[in-house]
Order: sequence, then structure tokens, then C-alpha cells
Amino acid sequence: MKSIRIESLLARVLTVGTWLAAIVIAAGLVLSWFHQRTPFLTGAQIVIAGIGLFVLLPILRVILMLIFFAKERDHKFAAAAAVVLLILFAGFAVGILAK
Amino acid sequence: MNPGTELWLFAVSLGASALGGMLGMASGIIIVPVLTLWGHVDIRSAIGASIVSVIACSCSSAAPFLKGRLTNVRLAIVLETATTAGALSGVLLAGTIPAPYLFFIFGIILLISAQQMLVKRGDPALAPIQSLTRRSTTWRLDSSYPDRALGRDVAYRVQRLRMGMVLMYVAGLISALLGIGSGVLKVPAMDTALRLPIKVSSATSNFMISVTAAASAGAYFVRGDIVAPVAGPVALGSVVGAILGARLLMSISNERVRLLFVVVLVALATQMFVAAFGRDLFRGIA
Repeated sequence: MKSIRIESLLARVLTVGTWLAAIVIAAGLVLSWFHQRTPFLTGAQIVIAGIGLFVLLPILRVILMLIFFAKERDHKFAAAAAVVLLILFAGFAVGILAK
Repeated sequence: MNPGTELWLFAVSLGASALGGMLGMASGIIIVPVLTLWGHVDIRSAIGASIVSVIACSCSSAAPFLKGRLTNVRLAIVLETATTAGALSGVLLAGTIPAPYLFFIFGIILLISAQQMLVKRGDPALAPIQSLTRRSTTWRLDSSYPDRALGRDVAYRVQRLRMGMVLMYVAGLISALLGIGSGVLKVPAMDTALRLPIKVSSATSNFMISVTAAASAGAYFVRGDIVAPVAGPVALGSVVGAILGARLLMSISNERVRLLFVVVLVALATQMFVAAFGRDLFRGIA
């Protein structure tokens, strides 16, 4: 049963995250079509923010899996999730260093 | 960029992602050539947009697979250690291998994958369950999924995990080098090495793609290669297309998915060979 719980949790988080990012992107695009701007951000900047949400979503997913497996005392899978997370951060660091 | 162009980008991404989502592969491999060849989008913006599309596809189509119990999340996190390690190596190697060589290698890999997927093997749903391998027991990766076409649960074993890990590393490496999603390599690798039912392979691959893409996506994001008027409509189209594709996958038979996948693999291989020997169309991609 516990594996079904993590699956429905991940499904919910990914769905909500996807819609949130999509709505932000759509709002930004509509604003940029009509050359409108909010007091703080242009349409294009809002689009970029929505895309940023998409980039963060997989990382959030791995963090949730790490917490879940750790709570379940499923140490092997928690370790696997931790390794994935470390590699992801290393990837970001490489990208930043190569800039 | 005007609303007309953005609608075109949206429509192209929707089509590519519906096909991709249905096959458990990401849309990037279709989106990059379409945007650069037909859309006259420059290659860096196209790759930036395609990486976002890859993540959008994977995240938006994940829910029905998870709820339908097709995704094996435990297997996914284990294999992701290999795909992300491969992707990281790819990021470090990027630029050292000329693009035409990469496309030639990719074309060959696609053809081998197509050939392997065409080989008929016993349907795991009908064959008696084979004896457990030791590795599979220690990792508790075996599971079952409800098959709508068969109308019952199908139990499956995860076989030859070590070989699967090696193939996943290679899939992550090549996808990072080429700047595309890696589902097209992951699905055949899971099908061949782990001997999983094709729908489980597709769903689990789809689930893993976003994490594999996240490392390189971060780099593109930081470098400013993600351009709002291109990446925005592409991401939106990908979300809609991927959801449609995932719905379709649930209701068609394993054999049809396999056949469609083989057709796509051969078409992409042809495209890769054209890129390798042709007019250096993809010179900037790596």
C-alpha cells in the first residue's frame, strides 16, 4: 500500500506544478501579445519565471522521493534519491561554472 | 515574435509531444529539427526550448501513468542514478566530440534499438514467471501493473539490472551530448535489458526524463539560452500534447505501441544520418 501512496503524492505534485507553470507561462504570453506590463515584470519575464518553475519541478520530485523513502526507512532507495539529487546539483554547478 | 508564430510553435509542440508522450519518449528530438529547419529559430534557442519541452512533457504526462500504476517509481530512482551520472558526464564532455560523429552514433543506436524492439519475444503477461535473480530480490523492484487491454493485473520481474544501469548511463550521456530527451534510448534499453512490459518501460522512462533533463536545463537557464517567445509556446503545446499522448497509451495494445515506436526510430535514424552526412544542418547542436 505504501508504494501507492508515494505514487499518488507524486502524481498530485507533478500535476499541480505543471498547471501552475503552464498558467504562469500563458499569462506572460498573453501580456506580451498586448504589450502590457505589470508594475514589476514584463510578459517575457513572467514567461521565464514559468519556465523556471518547470525546471524546478523534477528537483522537487526527487526531494519528495528522498523524504518518503527516508521516512519509510527504505534506506537503499533513500540513498539512490540522495545520489540523484547530488548529481543534479553538480550538473547545475557545472552549468554555472561553464558560463 | 507575433501571435501567429507563437500559435505555430504551440501547434508543432502539441503534435510532437502527443506522439512523444504516447511512446514514452520526449518531444525534443522532434522539436529541435522542426524549429531549426522549418521555423528558422536559431539552434541555441531551439535547444533551450526543447529542453523545457522535454521537462514539460515528462511532468504533465506523469500523473495518469502513476495513477494507472504503470510507473515503477522505485526502479525509476535507481535507474536515475545512472541517467543523471551519464548526463553529467555528457555535460562535461560537451564540445569535445564533433556533432556529425554524434549524429552518426545516434543514428546507429536508433537502428539497433529498432531492430531489437522488432524481435518477437514471449509476452511477459503470458509466460510463467522466471526465477528471481539475486540483484532483483535485494532491490525489491518487481511489481505488477493493471493492463486495460487484457483486463487484469500483469506481474513482471526486473531482470539484468546491471546491464540496464550501463545502458541508462549511455542514454543519459548521449542525450546530454545531443541536447535532447533520452526516452528514445531509455525505452529500448528497458525493453531489452530489464525485459519489462513495454507500457511499464514507456511510463517509467517518461517519469525519468524530466530528472535527466533537469541538469542540462539548469545550465541553459543560467546561460540565458531559454528565450521566452520560443520556449513559452513550446512548453504550453508540450503540456497539452503530452496529456493527450498519455491518454492514448493507456488504451492501445502493447504490440501497436511497439510497432509505432519502431517506425519512429527508423524515421529518426534517417534524419540523424542526413544530419551526419548532409549539409551540416545541425553543426551547432552539441
